Amino acid sequence: MTVGMINANPVVHERPERAAHPHAAALDALDVFDTVRDIKDPEHPYSLEQLSVLSQESVSVDEKLGRIQYLQFFWGHCLHLTIACRITFTPTVQHCSMATVIGLCLRLKLMQNFPPHFKIDIKVAPGSLANEESVNKQLNDKERVAAALENPNLRQLVDECLCSDHPSSY
Amino acid sequence: MKLFPDPSGLAAQFASDLFEILSNYFPVYFTHEASDNLGATRDDLSRALMHAFCSTPFFEPFAIPLLLDKLSSSLPLAKLDSLKYLDNCISCYGADRMVRHTSAIWSKLKEVLFSLSSDQLLSSWSPKDAEKNKNQIMSEAKNCLKAAVTYIHSSDRDLFINLILLDDDIVNNFHSVTIEEKSICSSPQKLHQLQALGSVISILAESSTYFCTRIFQAHFTRLIDILVNSAGFESQHLNICNGSSSGTVNYGALYLCLQMLSSCREVAVTSQEEFAPVKSANTWWLILMGKLEPFIHLLGKLLTIDSQPIQSAVEQEYVSSAMKGLLILATFPEQCSLPANAYEDILLMLTSVITNKYENVHLWRLSLRTLASIGSSAVEFHDSQKEMIYNRIVVDKIISLAKSCDTSMPLNLRLEASFEVGTAGVNYMLRVARSLEEAVIINIFQVNGRTECVEYVECLMDCYSSRLLPWLFTSAGVNDFALSFAMRLWDEISDLATLDRIISQGLLDSLMMGMKFLVGVCTEEQQSLIIQKACSTISSMLSLPVKSMVHHVLSEDDELVPAHSAQDKALVCMLSSVIVGLRPQTPVQDMTMMINLFAVFLLNGQMPAAHALASIFNKYLHNSEFSHENKLDKILDVILGRCFSIVLASSNSKISHSSGAISDNANCSDSMSGSVGSKVDILCGLAWIGKGLLMRGDEKVKDVSMFLLKCLVSDQNSVNVQPYQKTQNDNVSSDASLATSAADAFHVMMSDSEVCLNKKFHAKIKLLYKQRFFSILMPIFLSKIKETPVLTTKLVLYRAFGHIISNAPVSAVITEAHQILLVMVDSLAKLSVDIQDKDLVYNMLLVLSGMLMDEKGKECILENIHIVVSVLTQLVSYPHMMVVRETALQCFVAMSSFPHSKMYRMRPQVLQAASKALDDKKRAVRQEAVRCRQTWQSFA
Repeated sequence: MTVGMINANPVVHERPERAAHPHAAALDALDVFDTVRDIKDPEHPYSLEQLSVLSQESVSVDEKLGRIQYLQFFWGHCLHLTIACRITFTPTVQHCSMATVIGLCLRLKLMQNFPPHFKIDIKVAPGSLANEESVNKQLNDKERVAAALENPNLRQLVDECLCSDHPSSY
Repeated sequence: MKLFPDPSGLAAQFASDLFEILSNYFPVYFTHEASDNLGATRDDLSRALMHAFCSTPFFEPFAIPLLLDKLSSSLPLAKLDSLKYLDNCISCYGADRMVRHTSAIWSKLKEVLFSLSSDQLLSSWSPKDAEKNKNQIMSEAKNCLKAAVTYIHSSDRDLFINLILLDDDIVNNFHSVTIEEKSICSSPQKLHQLQALGSVISILAESSTYFCTRIFQAHFTRLIDILVNSAGFESQHLNICNGSSSGTVNYGALYLCLQMLSSCREVAVTSQEEFAPVKSANTWWLILMGKLEPFIHLLGKLLTIDSQPIQSAVEQEYVSSAMKGLLILATFPEQCSLPANAYEDILLMLTSVITNKYENVHLWRLSLRTLASIGSSAVEFHDSQKEMIYNRIVVDKIISLAKSCDTSMPLNLRLEASFEVGTAGVNYMLRVARSLEEAVIINIFQVNGRTECVEYVECLMDCYSSRLLPWLFTSAGVNDFALSFAMRLWDEISDLATLDRIISQGLLDSLMMGMKFLVGVCTEEQQSLIIQKACSTISSMLSLPVKSMVHHVLSEDDELVPAHSAQDKALVCMLSSVIVGLRPQTPVQDMTMMINLFAVFLLNGQMPAAHALASIFNKYLHNSEFSHENKLDKILDVILGRCFSIVLASSNSKISHSSGAISDNANCSDSMSGSVGSKVDILCGLAWIGKGLLMRGDEKVKDVSMFLLKCLVSDQNSVNVQPYQKTQNDNVSSDASLATSAADAFHVMMSDSEVCLNKKFHAKIKLLYKQRFFSILMPIFLSKIKETPVLTTKLVLYRAFGHIISNAPVSAVITEAHQILLVMVDSLAKLSVDIQDKDLVYNMLLVLSGMLMDEKGKECILENIHIVVSVLTQLVSYPHMMVVRETALQCFVAMSSFPHSKMYRMRPQVLQAASKALDDKKRAVRQEAVRCRQTWQSFA
């Protein structure tokens, strides 16, 4: 970081106890949250969960409405299941320029850990950021995400954030 | 070195100089690795220096100040060492010399005990280390205080106790505990203070009756009053149930009371013989008795703060404290035990929890355990009066619980309660056993078609045989009751009407299992009594011509006995379960008759008969008939021969069919040699006999296994001839089912069984028998698999070989890895098609993953990496079993540590399989897939 820290003194919360998964084997919000809770903040050695950037309530998995049927006309009818996942996060300060990096981390991790038919919406929590709309647009634009991940500096930063050593993260 | 303590001697003169030299080494600083050849550790050196410090009392004026000074060191190690040294020095230097240091020692120890948690020095360590250090220091400090209290006497015996009890900090601490409003101490700091205070008090009180009395005088009455008042006990019917009100009971006071109680119990136990004066004089006992009733009442109230089934941690803490209190009160030794009515009150309280509060698991288990400990302490102290009360209040109640068929309480809890209460003492357990026996017999007698009654008997039998019997046998060595129970069962069976009821209700299985266990725990003499009884019952009731079986073994027409009646079968089953449980040395009469009987039933496809025969041949049961010649071996030959011929007869008939014989023969030959179903059963029975022989290490097992192999490849013949005889489909399928059951027979032979032939039933088990069997059969199987062109036969061979591989010790399999790997992988691929083989597939996959972990196996896998990876990718999407998918993915993760040059070509294949598994139905597989993908992605 060449410039000073954007938020030098964040509020750090304790790592809460991990809730046990309910017995049902279907994919749920807790699965998604477990995947991303240990992503490291780009600025601090704490996880996004500890900094309250994310919480389990901010993830919603919508299986019923999210099942979109693609009719593929080339090979006749073909059902394709898509599960939508909506994830919102709250940057620690209003003018956090790290919001895009955090969003990028979320997207990359989810892309790695869930099958490709999984539609992912990543949004900044309403009212938490000054340029909310543009960030949201940027984060959900496939081409811009791909382009960002081609940038070596950015890629390195993202990869560092994803390397968390908490044992239960997967 | 122990110097002679001469007050004017050299030691006294030079003590100062000597100690100056010694003291430079303290605390020992030693960082060498343990690898040098002396092998000295820091602990050794420190201990040596400690002995030097303690060697002569003349060091006292120099050592004690030094140690006390080092106690306030910031190094945990120095602190720990000083405490250890001080502990030893106090006992070595003697009271006279130590008296003058008393107040200094106390104030230093107090510092350590009470202020440790706030120590900053520890926070620089990792939390785990700090915790460990803290605990160590605390326990050493307690030891040290204990030494000080016991060794430092003076003319004024009040010296130490006054020093502590009147200490400002202690007084303040007591005060702050008693005014504490919160239920459980709010901060860890406070909790630590409370624990420290508790341990100081209990160390003092445990040291002597006098100290104990002093402490009781000073605090006990007041604490109890606070407790009783805080809980608002003026009102008779206190509604403590609504959650927060439990907070009004002062936890600190409760904790301290319990500490005092437990230490006065300690005192009472250690000073048992001199206890007579305690009751008379003004001692702690009188103080305790004065407050006993409200205290028990309070503890009882605490047990009821549990209206909701799921309790918070705070409530659980209260409940466990209350339990602890009740336990201590009820386990005072005889000389100073409670008045009988208080004891009864406690027992009634706990028993009512058992009978009424079973929804609350924590409370229920806790009170059960408490009851059991109370009972065992009464037994331990030989307190006959208490035992009587316990019998009357607890055991009677619990037994009546287990006996009654219909209460709202779940049966498994009732049985658990009976068992736990029984563990308190042999006599109690015997009562429980007798009551269960009674319940079983009564229920057999009046089974009236209700299914819950059948289940009830099954549960009773199960509890009896799997919990009570082993406990009674191992911890008490009692087995008379087993004999009497077995005899009673036989009495019941000898009544035809009862027997019919047993059969029609489906109770036979559980009774058989119970009988095996009962016979299993008996001694040889008892067993021979049981077997005699069984034999006489059988021979009087069986509709077969039993007498004619005595002399000749398996005459030709024996097997043609038509379908046996259900009663005959049941009788033979029960007899077989007696045989299964016998010890090898037990003398058995009428052996020929029994073997004949079992052989006949085996030929009719009865598995229990096969179990019995297998047990007979495994244990080589002997009697005078057989002693002089190898008659048993001959009988075995005859039986095996008959089995072989019957099973083969069908195949031959089929072959004769297929080669163009008249098809009418089919019916004829079927009636001659039994249906296909019974042939399958006979094969299975053969497998059991083979297992018995195999476990003993008998050579004849070869005959059995060769025969099974022949059966395995038998359908190859029929498949070959199939083109000529299309109409013989049913025969082909019967051959196939025969081959399949032959494959399963290998599973029976190799796997461990609960039903018979195990340690509990005294089987003879030769060392490494599985390994030996594996290495004998492996080359045969390999060549057979190689030369078989037919897929179905190959599949059966794979199945049989799979059973052998997966049950053999992994290390044995790995040594042959280079030979069997390809066969294994191929059979994994082929067997993964059929859902019935899912367990087998899983077991073989486990063997494969075991190979992955071994150096030699790894090498072998690397040579065939392509084929292994492709089979594993196939298994990643195995639809029938989740653990197979998971294990396959784990294998991939393990493979990622293989040499890069060999593995990088596999990467796309593995990644593709893993990303497919990301979409799995089961969470565990998805997680494993993510892990696999991550390791292989970073692998490039």
